[in-house]
Amino acid sequence: MLVVFSKNPVYSILYLIITFFSIAGHYVLLNAQFLAAVHVIVYAGAIMVLFLYVIMLLNLNKETEPHKSNLAKIAAVICAGTMMVVLVASLRGASQMMPNSGGNIGLVKNLGKVLFNEFLLPFEISSILLLAAMVGAVMVGKMDHNIPPVANNQKPNDNNN
Amino acid sequence: MNALYVICGVGVFALLAEVLNLKKWISNIALAGLIAAIAWIVFDWRSVSYRFQGMMYFDHVALAFTALILIVTFFWFWMAKDFFSSDEHITEKSALVLFVVAGAIMMVAFNNMAILFLGLEILSISLYVLAGSNKLSLFSTEASFKYFLMGSFATGFLLFGITLVYGATGSFNISVISNPAQGMMSVATATQGIPRFYFIGMLLMMVGLAFKISAVPFHLWAPDVYEGSPTPVTTFMLTVVKIAAFSAFVKIFSVTFSKYAPTLQLLEQGIMVATLVVANIAAVAQSNVKRMLAYSGVAQVGYLLLAFSSDSAKSAGIIFYYLAAYSAATLLAFTVIKIVEAQRGSASADKFKGLFKSNPLVGVAMAIAMFSLAGIPPLAGFFGKYLVFTLSVGSHFVGLTVLAVITSLIGVYYYFKPVVAMAQAGENKLSVSVPDRYLLILLMAINILIGIFPDLIRVI
Repeated sequence: MLVVFSKNPVYSILYLIITFFSIAGHYVLLNAQFLAAVHVIVYAGAIMVLFLYVIMLLNLNKETEPHKSNLAKIAAVICAGTMMVVLVASLRGASQMMPNSGGNIGLVKNLGKVLFNEFLLPFEISSILLLAAMVGAVMVGKMDHNIPPVANNQKPNDNNN
Repeated sequence: MNALYVICGVGVFALLAEVLNLKKWISNIALAGLIAAIAWIVFDWRSVSYRFQGMMYFDHVALAFTALILIVTFFWFWMAKDFFSSDEHITEKSALVLFVVAGAIMMVAFNNMAILFLGLEILSISLYVLAGSNKLSLFSTEASFKYFLMGSFATGFLLFGITLVYGATGSFNISVISNPAQGMMSVATATQGIPRFYFIGMLLMMVGLAFKISAVPFHLWAPDVYEGSPTPVTTFMLTVVKIAAFSAFVKIFSVTFSKYAPTLQLLEQGIMVATLVVANIAAVAQSNVKRMLAYSGVAQVGYLLLAFSSDSAKSAGIIFYYLAAYSAATLLAFTVIKIVEAQRGSASADKFKGLFKSNPLVGVAMAIAMFSLAGIPPLAGFFGKYLVFTLSVGSHFVGLTVLAVITSLIGVYYYFKPVVAMAQAGENKLSVSVPDRYLLILLMAINILIGIFPDLIRVI
C-alpha cells in the first residue's frame, strides 16, 4: 500500500524493496532457497537500483507531471477493476489444489538438472536473447561519428515554432 | 532445426565481421547463409520430427512457414542493401536482423511455451532497436519507444497467460496443454475439471498475440511504428514479423487450444470484424503511402483471421498462400517506396506523381503491387482472397464473407490512390540502380506467377 500511496517516488521504491524482501521470505518458507536468493539479487538489487536511477534522472515532481484527462482515468480504473475481478474470480478456489511435487523442488540441484536436461534448448537460446539485447543496447548507446552537432533536427519544417 | 542453427551462426558471424574486417561482405554472407538455410529445409522436408525432448516440432506447416520467412528475408536483404551501406552499425544491424529471423523460426516451430516466449522476445527486442536505428530522425526514435512500451506490455500479457496455463496444467508442452485432463491428474486431484484460470490464461495469451499480429483493438501502435521506422525495417516488420506472429497465433489457437475452438471462434470473429472495418476505413484517410500500407497490413490480418476462424483445421495452407502473396506484394510496394523516398524526400501520395512517365518500370511495379494487395485478378492477392472467401462460405459464414468483400472493395479505393497519382503529370526523373531493377522485375514475376499458378506454392 505504501508503494502506491507515497507522494515521493523514491520512497515508494524503497517500500517496494521491502515488499520484494517479504516475497523472498515467502520463497524461503516454501523451501525454494535459490529462487529467494535470485529474487533478492535481481529484483531488490539490480532492477530497483535501475528504477531509482531512472526516477532520479527524470527528476519527477508535481509540476512536470503530465495532466491526464478524467475520462482516461475512469477508463483505466474500469479496465483494471474488471481485470482484477476476473482474475480474483478465476483464482478463487485455486488454494484447494494440491501441489504434486515433493518439498525440495526449489533447490539449486534440481533446478540445474531440469535446466540442463529437459530445458537445454531454451537455456541455450536465452543466450541469443541476451546477445541480441546487448548488441541492441550497444547500438543505441554508441555515438555516431556523423551526427551533426544539433541532432534531432532533420525535419525543421515540421517544428514551426 | 538446422536452418535455425545456420541463422544463429550467421548472426554471430555478422558480429564477428566487425573484428575480421569483413564489413563489405556481410550482406553477401547473410544471403549465402539464407540460401543454405533454405536448402536445409528442402533436405529436411521428409523428416518431420520433434527436436530437443519435444521442445520444437518441425512438421510440414512449420517447415513451410520457415521457408517462407527465409525466402522473404532473402529478398529483404536484397532490397535493403543501402540500409546496410549508408552509415555505421552495419554489423549490429545485420546481426539483429538475423536474430529476428532466428526468433521468427522459433515462433513458427515451437512445441513448448518456453520456446515461444524466448522466440518472441528475441524477435521483439531486436526489432525495438531496429525501429530506432535511424538515430537522426525523431520519428524513428518515437517509433522505437512506442513499440518498446506497447510490445513489452503485450509480452507481459502473454507471459501472464503462459503462467496461468502452466499453473493449470503443470506443463509448458503444448501437447499436454492441449489435453488438459491428463495434466490435471498430476497437478491437482482435489478439484474436478480444469481450473478456471486456465481459460483466463488462454484469453491473456490471445491478447498478447493479438498485439503482435496487430489485430484491431490492439493495433494502435502499428501505424505510428510502421510509419516512423526506417522504410526497410517497416518492410521487415510487415512481412517477416507478421508471418511469424500469425503462424504462432495459428499454432496456439488451432493446435494448443483446439478443444475450445467454438468459443474461441466467436472471439476471433469479433476481432476480425473490428479489424476489417476499422483498418480499412482508417486507411482511406491516409495521404502517406507508407502509413496507408501500415493500415493495409492491419487490414490483411482481418482476412487471415477470417480464414482461420472459419475452419482452423483446413486453413493452414490458405494462410500460407495468403501470407506469401501478401509478402510478395508488400516487398514490391516497399521497394518502390524506398526508391521514391530516397530520391524525392518522402512517401506521401503526391510524390508518386508522374511515375508512369518518368520511370515506367517503377510505375508498373507499384501498380502491380497495389492491384495484388487490392485483390485484382490475375495477381496473387486475388487468389489469396478468393481462397479465404471460399473457405469461409464453405463453413457457412456468409454474412462475414459479405462484410469482408465490402471492406475489400473499400480497400480497392485506397490502393488505387497511388496508382492514380502515378498517372498524373508531375516531377520527372527517377533513376533506379541495377540491382533494384532486377529485384523489381523478379518480384513482379513472382506476383504474377503465383497468381496464375497458385498450386506452385500450395505445399501444405
